[in-house]
Amino acid sequence: MTTTAAEADAARVAVQPATPTNPRRPRFTISQIFIWAALAVTTVVFLYPFVWLVSASFKPRAEVFDNRLVPLNFTVDNYVQVWLEAPMALWLFNTLIVTVLAAVSVTISSAMVAWGFSYFQFKGRGALFGLVLATMMLPGAVTMIPTFLIWNGLGMTGTLTPLWAGNLFGSAFYIFLLRQFFLGLPRSLFEAARVDGANNWQIFWKIALPLTKPALVVTLLFEFKAAWTDLMRPLIYLRDADTFTVPRGLKALVDQFGFGGNFHWEIIVTASVITTVPMIFLFFIGQKHFVEGIATTGTKG
Amino acid sequence: MRAPLARGSVLAAAAALALTACAQGTSDDAGTDAGTDAGAESTYDPDAELSGELSIMGFGAGDEIATVRLEAAEAVIDPVEVTLIEGDLDIQQFLSAVAAGDPPEIVYANRDQIGTFASRGVIVPLDDCIEGEGVDTGMYRDVAIDQVTFGGSIYGIPEFNSVQITMANAELLEAAGMSIDDVNGSDWDAIAAAAEAMVQDDGGLSVIGYDSKLPEFLPLWAKANGVDLLSADGKTAQLNDPAVVEALKFAVGIYDAQGGFSAVKAFRDSNTDFFGAGNQFATNTLGAMSFEQWYVNVLNESSPDAAMAFDTFRDKEGQTIAFASGSAWAIPKDSANPVAACKLATTMTAVETWQAAAQARVDARTEQGLPFTGLLTGNEEADTAIQELVVEIGDEKWDAAVAATYEANDNTFALPANPADAEFKTAWQDAVNRVLNGQQEPQEAMDEAQEQAQAALDAAWADAE
Amino acid sequence: MATTTEVSRTPSTDEGDRVRRSTSRKNLRAALLFLSPWIAGFLIFTAWPVGYSAYLSFTDYDVINAPTLIGFDNYRQLFDDPKISLSLWNTFVFTAIKIPLHVIVSLALALLLNRAFRAAGFFRTAFFLPEMTPPVAVGILLLLLFNGQDGLINSTLGWVGIDGPDWTTDPAWVKPGLVMMGLWTVGSSVIILLAALRNVPQELYDSARVDGANWWQQTWRITVPMISGTLFFVFIVNSIGAFQSFTEAYTAFFGSGNTTYSNDAALFYVIYLFQQGFEFLHMGYASAMAWVLFVIIMIITGIQILVSRRFVYYEGDGR
Repeated sequence: MTTTAAEADAARVAVQPATPTNPRRPRFTISQIFIWAALAVTTVVFLYPFVWLVSASFKPRAEVFDNRLVPLNFTVDNYVQVWLEAPMALWLFNTLIVTVLAAVSVTISSAMVAWGFSYFQFKGRGALFGLVLATMMLPGAVTMIPTFLIWNGLGMTGTLTPLWAGNLFGSAFYIFLLRQFFLGLPRSLFEAARVDGANNWQIFWKIALPLTKPALVVTLLFEFKAAWTDLMRPLIYLRDADTFTVPRGLKALVDQFGFGGNFHWEIIVTASVITTVPMIFLFFIGQKHFVEGIATTGTKG
Repeated sequence: MRAPLARGSVLAAAAALALTACAQGTSDDAGTDAGTDAGAESTYDPDAELSGELSIMGFGAGDEIATVRLEAAEAVIDPVEVTLIEGDLDIQQFLSAVAAGDPPEIVYANRDQIGTFASRGVIVPLDDCIEGEGVDTGMYRDVAIDQVTFGGSIYGIPEFNSVQITMANAELLEAAGMSIDDVNGSDWDAIAAAAEAMVQDDGGLSVIGYDSKLPEFLPLWAKANGVDLLSADGKTAQLNDPAVVEALKFAVGIYDAQGGFSAVKAFRDSNTDFFGAGNQFATNTLGAMSFEQWYVNVLNESSPDAAMAFDTFRDKEGQTIAFASGSAWAIPKDSANPVAACKLATTMTAVETWQAAAQARVDARTEQGLPFTGLLTGNEEADTAIQELVVEIGDEKWDAAVAATYEANDNTFALPANPADAEFKTAWQDAVNRVLNGQQEPQEAMDEAQEQAQAALDAAWADAE
Repeated sequence: MATTTEVSRTPSTDEGDRVRRSTSRKNLRAALLFLSPWIAGFLIFTAWPVGYSAYLSFTDYDVINAPTLIGFDNYRQLFDDPKISLSLWNTFVFTAIKIPLHVIVSLALALLLNRAFRAAGFFRTAFFLPEMTPPVAVGILLLLLFNGQDGLINSTLGWVGIDGPDWTTDPAWVKPGLVMMGLWTVGSSVIILLAALRNVPQELYDSARVDGANWWQQTWRITVPMISGTLFFVFIVNSIGAFQSFTEAYTAFFGSGNTTYSNDAALFYVIYLFQQGFEFLHMGYASAMAWVLFVIIMIITGIQILVSRRFVYYEGDGR
C-alpha cells in the first residue's frame, strides 16, 4: 500500500498545474458574473475606508470630514507639512531595517520550529506544541514590563534590537500556521528523498520549504505588516528621535499639535496614509508569489 | 532522563533563577533605594555645577509658547544636554522606564495625575528644590498648587490653566427670546427653557439648544449646586450627595428634553469641523454650552464674524466658577539630574519667561492679523503681567470672551490631590455614562459610583500611609 | 471520499517496540535541533516574564514599588468584582458572534477569490488593506461610519427602509457594531485560506466533476476537508485573539484619553485589565486577571482541539 500511495502521490504532484485553471471554463456564465459581482461589492466595502483616508489627506483641515470622495480643494499641503516637520526619510529607513529583519528572521525560525513539530514523531510532541500555543493565550499587557526588564538587563533599550530580535526565536502564530501546511504535505515525498540519501536538513530546506512557498510568503508579508505598524514597542524602547520608526515618529508629530494632537485630523489621516502606502506596494508585489503551487518543484523521482 | 534533556533542564533552571534574581534586584532597588538621588533633593544645592543630560518625557515643543520658554530654560541649565522624548506622556512608556530604574530626568504630566504618582513615591517632593531656588510659591495659582500638593509637600510645578466659560450663539439666543444670562448657569430653569426653545428637531436633530457636556463637566454642575465631588482632604468621596445627584439629574434632563443623549451625541459627532469654519456656532447648529477657554482662539480664527455671546459660567448664586486643570512638571524618584530638572521647571514657569513667551505669541498673532486673546499660565503674577499685553480687540464679543476668561481664571476650583485619581474619575464617569446610556437611574448610578470610589480611595490612602 | 494515507504501522512485536522506541529517541534528538530556536527564545524571553507575572498575581504591585505578597487576595477580589463578570460576558458574547462569522466570511471570500483568475492580485491587496491601516484611523472611521444620525451605515440602511440604531451609543448595538468592524479585517484569514486552497490538487476536482458532482458538493466534499487543517488554524487563532480583543474597542470607546464618553457594553476583559494595570496601577490584580483569562482560553482551545479531531483531516500525517 505504501508503494502505490507514494507513486500515486508523486504522479499527482507532477501533474498538478500551477493554478487550478479549467480550460473548459466558459467566460460569461451566471456563476462567473455572480462571482465578479460579489467580489466587486465586497471590494468596495473593503476599499472605501482607505479611499476615504487618501482623499481626506488631500483636503485642507476644514474639509476633512465633508463626505466627498473627491476633494473640493485639492491640496498637498498636509504632505508637505509632514515631510518638512519630520525626518521621514530617516524614520522610513529605520522602519525598513526593523521590518525586514523581523520578517526574515521570523519566517526562517518559525519554519524550522514548525518542521520540528510536524515531520518528527516523538513523545511529548503534543504537549510541547500545546506549550507553544499556550504562549499565545496570555495577554501581552502583563508580560510587557518583565520583557522590558530583560532587554534593559541586556543593555539594549534605546536601540532598535528589541523591536525585531525576539523573532529570531520563532513566533507561535507562524509556527502554528506553518505546521498546518507542513502536515498537509504527503509523507511519501520525504520517504522517497530519504531513500535517496537526503539528511533531515536537506529534506527540510530543499523539499518541504519550496512546497510551502505560499505559506512562507504569507508569513513574510504578515510579519512585515505587523512590524511596520507596531507602535507599542518603539514607544517603550526608543528614546532618541533619530531611532524612531514611522509609527512612533508620526505619533510624536501628531502629539505636537496640542491637546493630544487628536484634533488635527488632516495630519492624522496624512500620517496614516504615509504609514500604509509603502506596505501596500510591498504587499502587492509580494503576493504574486501565492500563484505558484507545488507544481513547479514536484518530485525528482 | 535522557542526557540532553537533563542538561537542557539544568540550564533552563539556572537561566530562570538568574533572571529572577536580576528582576527582583531591580524592583527591590526601586522600592528600598534611599540612595543618592533622593539624598540630592534633601541637600539641594542651587549652585552645584551642572552637567550631563536631561531627558524630558511628556512635553511637546509645538508652538512658540513652548519653544521660547524651553530655550530660556536651556540657557539657564547650560551645559546640560536637553533631550525631548517626543510625544505626550504615555503611561506604559513611563512605567516601563520606572520599572527598569531608568526614568526620564523630568516628566510633564497632567495635574490630576500628580496625586497618584506622589502617593506611590514615583516622583519626589519639590520643597527643597523650591526653597533652594528661592521660588515664591505664592505666585502660582492657589488652586493649581493645591492640586499638586500631597501630604503637605508640593510635588509639581504648575503650568497652564484651563477654565470654562459659557459660549453661545447670539443669533439663536435672540431668535428664542433669550439672553446670555439665561444660559450662563445662574438659573437652571432658564437653561432648561433655553434648551427647549432653541432646539430644533424635525425627524432628526438639526440644532442642539444647550449642551450640558456630560460626563466631563459633572464636577462643574455639582459645584454650581454647592458641592464638591471629593472632600477637601481628598479622603471622602461625595458622589451620591443629594446635590450631586440633583445636578446630574438636571444635566441629563437637558439631554432628554432634546431627544435623548444618543441623539444629541450622534448629531454632535456628525459635525466634525470642530476646529474650522464649519464649527457648530458658525453653522448655527448649537445654541449654547460651557467649554474650555482655548476654544475662543479657534472660534476667533476660523469664524470671527459669527454671532457669538460669551460670559463666565456661574453657580446658582450667580457667582463665577470654573473647574481648573492643567499640567505640571515633576521629578521622578531616580532622576539622574534633579538639580537641572528643578532649574528647568522653575525657569519654565517663571514670570519673566512667561512674559517673553506671551510676547512671542503676541508678535506671531499680530503677524497673522489675529488678536491676542490672553494666556492662562497657572502663575498669578505672570497672568496679571500678560493681561496687560491683551489689547482691546474692539469687537465687543471677543473682548467679552477675554474678560470672561480672566474672570473665570480668578475663580477656579479643583479636586484635591488623591492617591486614586484614575479610579475615582473612572467611577463617576462610568456612572454618568451609564445614566446617559439609559442603563441606570442617576441615584442608583451615583450610589454605585460612591461605593466604588470610596473603596478605591480607602485602599489607596491605606497604602500611602 | 477522503482517502487515507496514514503511515503504515509496523506490526506490534518486541522487535517493533524496540525499533519504535529508538526511532522515537532519534527523532527527538533530530527534532530538538529544529525546535532549538523556539526553546531558546522560550527560556530567555518567555519563561521568566510568564513566571514573573504569575508571581505578581499573588502580590500587590504598582510597578513603582516592590511587590508585596498578599496570597490569594487578588483572586478573591476577582470573584467579587462586578466588572470582571461584565467584561467576561462582553468578551464571550463578542467572540461567540464574531468567530463563526469570521470563518464563514473569510472562507466565502477565499472561495470567491480562488475563482477570479485575472486581477486576483488586486483583490487580494484590497481585502488585506484594512489590516494595514493604523488603528487610530480605523477608530475615527468607525465613529464616522457608524454615526447614528448620518453615518454611512445608517444611511445605507435607510435606503432599504430600515431605521438604523445608534451603533456608537446604544448598549444593545455596540457589540454588533464592533463585530461588523472586526469583520472588516478578515483579510489575513482570506489570504491564509487562499494559500491553502491553492494546495488542493486540481485532479480531485476533475475526477469529481467527471463523477457528476456539482459546485456545492465539490466544496463540501473536497475543498473543506482538504483545507480543514487551515480552517482549524483560522478558527483557533482568531478565537484566542478575540478573547484578547483590545485595540478596536479601546480606540473607539475608551478613547486615547481625551474622550470621556465610554460604554460599558464595550468593556472587554483585556481593556479592563489594561485599566487596572496601567491606569489604576494595580498590576498585581491585572496579572491575576491575565491568568484567569489564560486558563479560560486554554480550556476553550482544548475543547476546540478535541472537537476538531473528528473534523480535521491532514493529508500528510496522522497527528
